[in-house]
Parts: sequence; structure tokens; C-alpha cells
Amino acid sequence: MTMFHFLNCAILTFGPHAVYYSATPLSEYDTLGTSIKAALVYLGTALVKLVCLATFLKVPESEGFDPYQEFLKALIGFIDVAGLYFALTQLTHRNISQNHKFQAVGLGWAFADSVLHRLAPLWVGARGLEFTWEYILQGLESNANLVFTVSLAAMGSLMWLRKNKPRTLIPVIYACAGILATMPSITSYLRRSLGWHIPKVVGFELFASLVMAFISWQLFSACQRPSL
Amino acid sequence: MGASAKGEMLESVYSVLALMFMLVACVQLCDAATVVDVYRLIQYDLAGVPFGSRLANLNHHALSSPFVAGADLSRTVVIVPVRDVNMTFIREYITQRQLLGGLLLLLPQQFNPESKTDTVEGDQINGEELMRGKLAELEQLLIHANIPKVFQLLVFGWTGMFGAVIVEAKRGIEMSFGPSSGGVVKVYCGEKFGVRSEFGRLWYPVYFAFEDNKIDAILADIERNDAIGQPATATTGGSIKAKVFYSKPEDLVNLLALKGWLPGSKADGDANQLPTIAIVASYDTFGAAPALSVGSDSTGSGVVALLEISRLFSRLYSNPKTRGRYNLLFGLTSGGPYNYNGTHKWLRSLDQRVRESIDYAICLNSIGNWDSELWIHVSKPPENAYIKQVFESISSVAEELGVTVGLKHKKINISNPRVAWEHEQFSRLRVTAVTLSELSVAPGLLESTGGLFDSRYFVNETAVLKSVKLVAESLAELGDHTVEANLQQDVLDGMFTFYDSTKAKLSVYQVASVTFDLLLLLALASYLITLYCFLVITTRGLDDLICFFRRPSRKVKTA
Repeated sequence: MTMFHFLNCAILTFGPHAVYYSATPLSEYDTLGTSIKAALVYLGTALVKLVCLATFLKVPESEGFDPYQEFLKALIGFIDVAGLYFALTQLTHRNISQNHKFQAVGLGWAFADSVLHRLAPLWVGARGLEFTWEYILQGLESNANLVFTVSLAAMGSLMWLRKNKPRTLIPVIYACAGILATMPSITSYLRRSLGWHIPKVVGFELFASLVMAFISWQLFSACQRPSL
Repeated sequence: MGASAKGEMLESVYSVLALMFMLVACVQLCDAATVVDVYRLIQYDLAGVPFGSRLANLNHHALSSPFVAGADLSRTVVIVPVRDVNMTFIREYITQRQLLGGLLLLLPQQFNPESKTDTVEGDQINGEELMRGKLAELEQLLIHANIPKVFQLLVFGWTGMFGAVIVEAKRGIEMSFGPSSGGVVKVYCGEKFGVRSEFGRLWYPVYFAFEDNKIDAILADIERNDAIGQPATATTGGSIKAKVFYSKPEDLVNLLALKGWLPGSKADGDANQLPTIAIVASYDTFGAAPALSVGSDSTGSGVVALLEISRLFSRLYSNPKTRGRYNLLFGLTSGGPYNYNGTHKWLRSLDQRVRESIDYAICLNSIGNWDSELWIHVSKPPENAYIKQVFESISSVAEELGVTVGLKHKKINISNPRVAWEHEQFSRLRVTAVTLSELSVAPGLLESTGGLFDSRYFVNETAVLKSVKLVAESLAELGDHTVEANLQQDVLDGMFTFYDSTKAKLSVYQVASVTFDLLLLLALASYLITLYCFLVITTRGLDDLICFFRRPSRKVKTA
């Protein structure tokens, strides 16, 4: 019975990644290699991030929101952006279109993130006798994270790979990417400083992910039009 | 060659992976929302016949009341605060041995021997008195009602008092009794006193816990569930599961006696020739929950008084000028609830000369909760010189303190193995002894031996102090540092066998039912399908989706 619950939570956490891969043209063009490369880059980035966090951050004594520490954390969070930049521009990809490249990179990135951060707690926690909503919420969070990562990868691909963008849209793209990159700090602020409960935070994340996905989609298609 | 090496490497990698998986799967999962200390109902054997709660494992759904419609009581733990327990329910489930998954009784925090709150508010006292009565009744039900009177008769050798009907049966004697013990009791006596009783056992675990915030919150949750009318079973509704991790019971009987000796001084010689006065208190308790049975009043008060008296006199005796003309012997004995078996053993082990030098012994028992009246129990006629002396010296001090001391004489029946007072063990060995107690009549077997309500909360310090003063000053009127103190270990004889694992941790889990997980699975499946359709439509167009659904059907046709 507890195994059943574990399976449910695992489906919620990792199912969307698989569905995304198989439903979109990613599967048709066989972009699995790109995703795996992105996942490996994610692992490297996570290692660097961990080292930075361990070096620069103090162990929080209280649950309060410390602006300085959070600022440092957000700065360290930008290592992610660097990693994405590396995955998008420096890696040699087989000839796939930019359109699919950012999706594959985002997908691999988000999947690696989910596996690294959520699989172990899920395995240990969701199989326990105790029932909590925590793991279901965590699965939903993973969904939101997938959307954020793909959106961020889309913004990155616009920033670094596309040359002929409409000039008016450039600040919007950068602002959008900035918001997406600082999302972990924003949720942390909501949770720590405003004292939101986890269901509320997850709801916010889901809502924000939908909004950001819509905005980045519009930006992406707007940038594509002149090139067509 | 290279291929085989590669295969081997792959194999080793697989085995390592399998090992890791097994290790991960073996991680013990016992993180619960709440872990509560629980104290188990006593389990013991009396002459080989099992009594008390025989089971200790608990892993059931919880209910707040046994009257929830549609609940399968044999698979649920009923959690009830003693404060509002329904006595008829308890009686029904204990004496008639209805099937129950388990019973968890919540005691008020004041009865917790470990709690430090001893401030009493005025309006609380009435409630506490009520509570005390209720607890006494409950304990009576849990321990005493389960020992059939017949059995007491057999074990303690009384006959004829209840008018037994003795019927010859094939394998032994069948005795049946009327409602004197709360129901018809049948005991089969086979050869060699092998008594089989079906009465005293509880075939479900019974635990005690103390009310606190955690458990109150759990109880509120359970009550809410019950009110919604979701009976707690494995297949419906969110419910709470209680699980006790526990080790197997084992025999555990040890009697420890502690002896202290203050030699008196005599102008011309040997302290051994001086007469001795013994002060004795018994510290063993017997209660519904052994881990909670501290016996603050029944035994604790006596022990405290003894220690205080020994402190006073050791100071007095440390100065040769103030050393008395008596040796003082202090004894802390065990086995009190079981006919003072430890006292008997201790006396037997004393040196014959020491035992003969004892002029008299004063036993302290239940002196923690009295106002103005104390009793001296004796088993020799009051005309005895020593008893007269003790009584006179104590009552003269009592007069000064403004309390009264009465004398009660109860003869010993040598053929009856029941020993109601500690001094009776002395009297049996021809040592004059008295018991100082607030009780006016002798308690029955396993009565007033440190029950649940016999806690620190109900002990009056001034009463203990007064008792100390009474004894100490009466001794001083007749009038060491301890040079000798030793510990002695014995084995309890007789019919009692006890079990350990009196304390456990109760983990309370909030569990979801299978139905919930099934619904969750359905919701997830529909979510993923919708997501799939949405992604296909937005990235490839509606036609692709339709094609995707058509393709397999075409394949079936071609096949």
C-alpha cells in the first residue's frame, strides 16, 4: 500500500518529463543524447553550486529570511544560468534545430534536477507508514520546475543563439530570464519571510510557471516571425 | 577476449547495483508524526496461571470511542481519556473479555511521576478527588476483578467463606461461585494444584499514556474522523494507525534489601550486647502499570521517612556523647505487595544474634496522606511490655504534635499465608514489631500497593514530616554515622512471575487508504493524458493526435 503511494508520487514527479519527451517532436528527432548531455552538465553545475554554497553560506541558525544570505544564494543560483549557457552553446549537438535544442536541454536539466533532489526523499519518505501531502506537493513542484527550466532554456536560446531579434523585445527577454533565474529565491522569500505554507507556495509556483511559460512562448514566437 | 572482459565488468556492475538497491530497500522506516511514551498494563502469572494483559503488540487503526457504528472493534485501538471514560464500557470489555484490538487509556498529566507540576489550584482539587476515585475503580477492575475470588481462596488457603460448591469432575474439581465476584467464575483444579482459569487474562494489549498537547491533537483528529462517520478500516477513509515496537516479555524477579546499622554506645563495652531497634520500610509496588507504579504514599512515604530518620540519627550517633543506648537497624525491603516476601528473606538472612537482640521493629507503611490520625498495628496483645513502651512513647510525642495515634490489634493466623502487614513477618519469627500506618484496616492482597492514583500529587509533605518527627522523637526519648550498609539480593518465592517490557513507544501515523491512492492514480493518469494531448496538439497539430489514435487501430485491422 505504501509502495503504491510511492509509485503514485513517482509518476507525478517524473511522469511529465517522459510525457513531454514522447508527445513533442523531441522523440521524433531522437534528441535523447542532447538531454543526457544536459543532465550531465547539470550534475557538474550542481557540484560547483554545492561547493560554492558550502564555502560562502553560513548554516542558518533560524528559519528567518536573511536578505544578505538570500542574495548570496541567488548569486550562486546564477551558476545554473552559466551551466545552461554551456549546455546550449558550447556542447556540440547533432544537427538539431534550435527549436528542439533548448527543449531537449531544458528537459534533461529538469529531469536531472528532479532525480537529484526528489528521488531520494521520495524513496525514503513516501514509503513510510505516515501519510503526508508533502510528496504529492513535491511532485507538483517538480512539474512547475520543468516548466520553469524549459522556459529559461528558451530565453537562453533567444539570448545567446538567435542573432536577429527585434530590438524592442531584448529588455523583455532579459527581464523574463532574470525572473526565471531568481525563481528559487522568490519562493524561498515567500516561504521564509512571508510565512506561506507549502501548499500555497506550490500553488503560486504552478500559477507562475503557467504565466512564465505563456510569456516565453509568446516571446519565442515573436522572435521567430522576422526570421521566417 | 575483450568482449568477455566487458561482460564480466558489466556483471560486477550489476551486482553492485543490486546490492545497493537491497541496502536502500532495507532502510527502516519508522518516522512517525507523533511518538508517545506508553506504559503497559501489568502482565504476571500467579501460580502459573496467566493474568493481566497478555499481548503487547499494537498495530491497528484508532478510534476515540467504542460506539462508532460499523467499526470493527477487534481490529481497532480505542483511545479514551480516563477523565471521561465510560465505566460500563470498561467493565464490559474487561470483565466479560470482549474482543478489542487494543486499549489506550489517557491519564491526566498530574499523575505522571516524571512531571514537575505540583501546584494545585483550589477549584481543581474536587475534580482531582473524583479522578482519584475513578482511577481507583479502574485499577480495581484492571487488576483485582480479574483475580477470581475462588482463586484467591485457593491460593491463600481460605475455605468455606464463600460457600463453595465443589463438584467432582473427571480431571479434578470444578468449583463454581455465585455473583460474589462480579459474575460466575469457574475454576478447574487439576492434579497438583494446577489451576486453569479463563478469567483473568486480557487478550488484547492495554496501555496507559499521559495527556499532553501531542496526544490531545491526535485525539481531536480521531474524534473528527469518527464524527464524519468514517469508520477506521484498512479500505476507507483517512485514519490513524498506532504501532508499538516492543520486545518479548521475560521473567524478571529480584528482591533487593538494603540494610543500615548504627551501633549505640555503652559505657563499659561491646556494642553487640546492646538492644536493637529496627526501622523498616518496604519499597516494592504493584500497580496496573508497573512503569507508573511509584507508590508515593503507600511505600514512598515510608522510605522517605526511614531515610530522614537514618540521617537524623547518624548525625546524632556520630558524636559519642549523644550516641544512644540502642543499636539502630534500618532495613529497606522489597516484595511488599507479595506477602512481604522480601522482609521474610531479609529477616531469615540476618545474624541470629542480631535478630535476637532486636527489642522491637517499627515498620513504616502508608504515612504520606493523613491529617490527624495514625494507627499502630500490632499482632501481639497490647499488654506486651515492648508494645506498651512503643505505644506510650509514640502517643506522648503525638500529643505534643496534636495528633492522635490509635492501636489496632490483629492476630496472625499461621496457617494463612497471607501477610497483610510487614510486622507480621517479624512476629512470625518471634520478633516484636509494629506497623505505623494511616490505614485503619489491613489491605487485601495487591491492594494499596502503589496504584495509578498513588502518585506524588496526593502525598502531603507535612504528613511525612510529622511521621518522621513522631518516630524520631519517640526513639530519642529512649535514647552513628552508618558504619555498615549492605545490599542483599534474593529471589521472590512463591506464585508470582512477572514480565518486563513495561514501557514502550507508541508511534501514531496518519495513514491514507487504498481508495485514496487509487483515486490519486486516476487523477494522475488523466492529468498525464491531458498533458500529452495538449503537447501533441500545440507542437504537432490536432491531425497528428488523431493519427496517433488511428494508427494502432489500423494495425489491428491489417493484422
